[in-house]
Amino acid sequence: MASTTPATGSFPSPYEVETLPGCEGWEEMYPYYGRFLESRREADEGRFWFWNSMHFPEPMPAFDVVCIDSPYQGIGSWQNRVFAVPPAMGIDWRVVNGYIYITGNPVLDPEKVAERAEVFQKRAGYYYENWDELYGKWRSNMEQLIKELSELEVPDLPEYEPDAVVSGEQNTSFYRVQDAYSRTLRMGDLMWQHHFELLLLGYGAYATLAEFCKANLPDIPDQHIAQMVAGIDVILFRPDQELRRLARLAIETGVDGAFRQGRTPEEIDAELATSEAGRAWLEELEKVKEPWFHMATGDGLYHFYRSWLDEPSIPYASLIGHIAALQAGQEIERPTEQIREERDRLANGYRELLDESAQATFDDLLNLSRKVFPYVEEHKFFCDYWFLTSWWNKIREFGALLARNGFLEDGEDVFHLTRHEVASALDELTLTWATGGKPAGPTHWPPIVARRKEILERFKEWNPPPALGTAPEKVMDPTLIMLWGITDERVRDWASQVEGGSSLNGAAASPGTIEGVARVVRSVDQIGDVREGEVLVCGSTSPAWAPIFSKISATVTDVGGVMSHAAIVCREYGLPAVVGTGRATATIKTGQRVRVDGTNGVVTILDGDGDG
Amino acid sequence: MAEAPHTQTLDRLRSADEPAFGGKSASLGELLAGGIPVPPGFALSTSAFHAFVRESGLQRTIDDALSHMTIGDVDSVSGASRTISEAMRHAPIPTAVEEEIAARYADVAEAAGEPEPPVAVRSSAVGEDSEEATFAGQQETYLWVRGVGHVCDAVRDCWVSLFSPTAISYRARLGAAPEPAMGVTVQLMVDAGVSGVMFTCNPVSGDRSMIAINASWGLGLAVVGGEVTPDDLLVSKVTGEVVREHIHSKELEYVPDPGGRGAVRVDVPAERRDVRCLDEDAIAALVDVGRKVERYFGSAQDIEWAIARDASVPEGVYIVQSRPVTTTKPAVAEKPAGGDALSMVMATFGVKSAGGGQR
Repeated sequence: MASTTPATGSFPSPYEVETLPGCEGWEEMYPYYGRFLESRREADEGRFWFWNSMHFPEPMPAFDVVCIDSPYQGIGSWQNRVFAVPPAMGIDWRVVNGYIYITGNPVLDPEKVAERAEVFQKRAGYYYENWDELYGKWRSNMEQLIKELSELEVPDLPEYEPDAVVSGEQNTSFYRVQDAYSRTLRMGDLMWQHHFELLLLGYGAYATLAEFCKANLPDIPDQHIAQMVAGIDVILFRPDQELRRLARLAIETGVDGAFRQGRTPEEIDAELATSEAGRAWLEELEKVKEPWFHMATGDGLYHFYRSWLDEPSIPYASLIGHIAALQAGQEIERPTEQIREERDRLANGYRELLDESAQATFDDLLNLSRKVFPYVEEHKFFCDYWFLTSWWNKIREFGALLARNGFLEDGEDVFHLTRHEVASALDELTLTWATGGKPAGPTHWPPIVARRKEILERFKEWNPPPALGTAPEKVMDPTLIMLWGITDERVRDWASQVEGGSSLNGAAASPGTIEGVARVVRSVDQIGDVREGEVLVCGSTSPAWAPIFSKISATVTDVGGVMSHAAIVCREYGLPAVVGTGRATATIKTGQRVRVDGTNGVVTILDGDGDG
Repeated sequence: MAEAPHTQTLDRLRSADEPAFGGKSASLGELLAGGIPVPPGFALSTSAFHAFVRESGLQRTIDDALSHMTIGDVDSVSGASRTISEAMRHAPIPTAVEEEIAARYADVAEAAGEPEPPVAVRSSAVGEDSEEATFAGQQETYLWVRGVGHVCDAVRDCWVSLFSPTAISYRARLGAAPEPAMGVTVQLMVDAGVSGVMFTCNPVSGDRSMIAINASWGLGLAVVGGEVTPDDLLVSKVTGEVVREHIHSKELEYVPDPGGRGAVRVDVPAERRDVRCLDEDAIAALVDVGRKVERYFGSAQDIEWAIARDASVPEGVYIVQSRPVTTTKPAVAEKPAGGDALSMVMATFGVKSAGGGQR
């Protein structure tokens, strides 16, 4: 459906993209500043917009726009206003048919760049020098914030105020509801501020090491650089590690019989509750839940990616799988000793190939990368998973409040209103609660929600082009390069793919070549469709996708670099992976045979048929 | 051997023997000293060539022919070359030299466990400019030679190649040309199922963490002579992974002549043409031996190798030649060879270095 009218550059103009039939008026879901407005057509057509399918693979529900605004506020604050990264300010976003496109704001004036360089060197230098201390502080800030969030109460609106109001110990419920809502929003903002405090510098150290390795050893595979840096005992692996431990415990204590394929978590729990050993296992499970079951089932940026606590079927499916594997005599442990040895073997192997003068720099860069990289890996658990899944649940409490009062048919519908509309609905709700007047909300909001749900469904059928606007002569923004892998080469690849073709290029993320049947999976709730031996084709993956990596034969993603989740997991499982192809999910159809060459980063469609 | 002034077994030679035995023999000796698997054999010193010229009275013929020749006149140079070659081909090899060859060949036969084992006879050029001399055509190779008589003939043919028209012109161009001389290498043949060359760096990018392997079916002739497009592999020295590969259609190969002497060119059967001719184990064995050679010589090497037909690896892997890589450009001209790590990180974020210019 995308218009293929070329703009001034190699990509379609965002202004030529047609609204999908039946989606008229979709724009009202999004703030005016996120739209391609006629008033700034000339400027926006001249910019390079790429679909941020890494973070926003699906059409954006109205409330979830918070997770565009707040992160970009966070990146901008730290990159532009705190560290003053010399050539790049922050990121602007726009929405097209529900999909989010972004671009960087470069600093073009050489004098300004030089001025910023001084600020940057001083401040970034301070951070690198005091990294461990600052990261320690960061962690306690995050833990504090998560604690505050979990303690935040979303009050109900009672028939009569409690005595505590009379005695002056408590504010009126009107105020408390309003206060809770604004505090919830501000806590979300604060998390995103924390999120980006250390991230850019962490990626920067890694990117420098990678560049240094490639300058000296031009053919070094990206995955080897990643392997040399990657942490061993990373928090991200802890949740699944705990599940493996619980699986072993179930077998040791003879309660593994309860974990049968096809059973729900409730059925399993019910059987376990009938025996002493089973109850002991359940107690152990409870201990693991805090905090490890705050693992998300998706990459955290959408409200519908819940935690394991919310969707126990996900960890239980893993438990069933681990137990079955153990019963079959298979090894399920991550071979950490082996990973550690491999990591040292790579680092020593490459080191000894360098000139003596380069060896010292290599050591320094590797040490710096290893020092900062735990943050890069671990912030996801604290921010994107633990905090964010809890935060969405807090928003759900406001949804439930609105639903109880007839403003919404279902609490979940709150996510189809913008955060400002929710504020407005709460304004009316608290006002009419106080006045006793009849609220208009119950007739006003439900039709809006219904219409928006319909539009989002239609948006899902659309294949967003990887880029819009004008291709840049050179990608200057270090954040775009480091976080999204938007290199000059990638832009050229995308531009050539506008022409179409039967092969896709991406980053060679995990070596090996296989041929297999493609399975296009657009969201995590479809992973149940994947069959043994299929090639997973998706926007990107997250820890929630973990159960399918033992089933598939290769992975192809639209977005991501060699440090993306899909790349990391595929290397662990020894599966070929090509990531960052730009439009694999748009080009490949379920059922097609494809060849995935993870060594060279090429995906070839071998036949034209598919049921997608 | 009690008295053997003209020959030496390869394993006794070292680089210091290059002036007497030529570069090829000396480097094979070095490889053996480094514990590299090299097929056994022996070398003839330049003294054997000098004895041949002296005792058969060829010097006068050579001097005569060369003095009557006009440099730059193709016909004249070819004529002189023809006269000298004819005379050399009819001259007997001195008995002392022939006896040494026979005794050394008998040793090779004993090691090989057959009476008349096939050997490769190659010229081993002498002199600092031997690389260029090689280029000038002073390199002859005779494969699958059997029996003392034929070995002697092949040795003589190597000597004859010193007086090819190109070689004569080349020396003439040098002006004050040294007296022509040549060593010869005689080595047990490996009946190679697969063979080729490898560079212990990527010769294109200069990356020293890579080994670039070219491989094709049969004897090495096809790859060295550029008659096939070999399989082209880039393998990480560090992990042994194949980082890039291009499998080409290998349409012909050289195999030993069924008659027992010489090598013949045959078509590769269709089912073998398009498959990679090296399996994982063979690649691993080659990487291993390549690294060992490089370590021993202390610089990137250009290595000719062969894997014996139906042999298992690593036992079946042989190195038949190694020389320093000379054609590689140094890895990336403006590479940040070393420096302060933190300022490099700063540069990633666009902080220009003190020297100016953004990386």
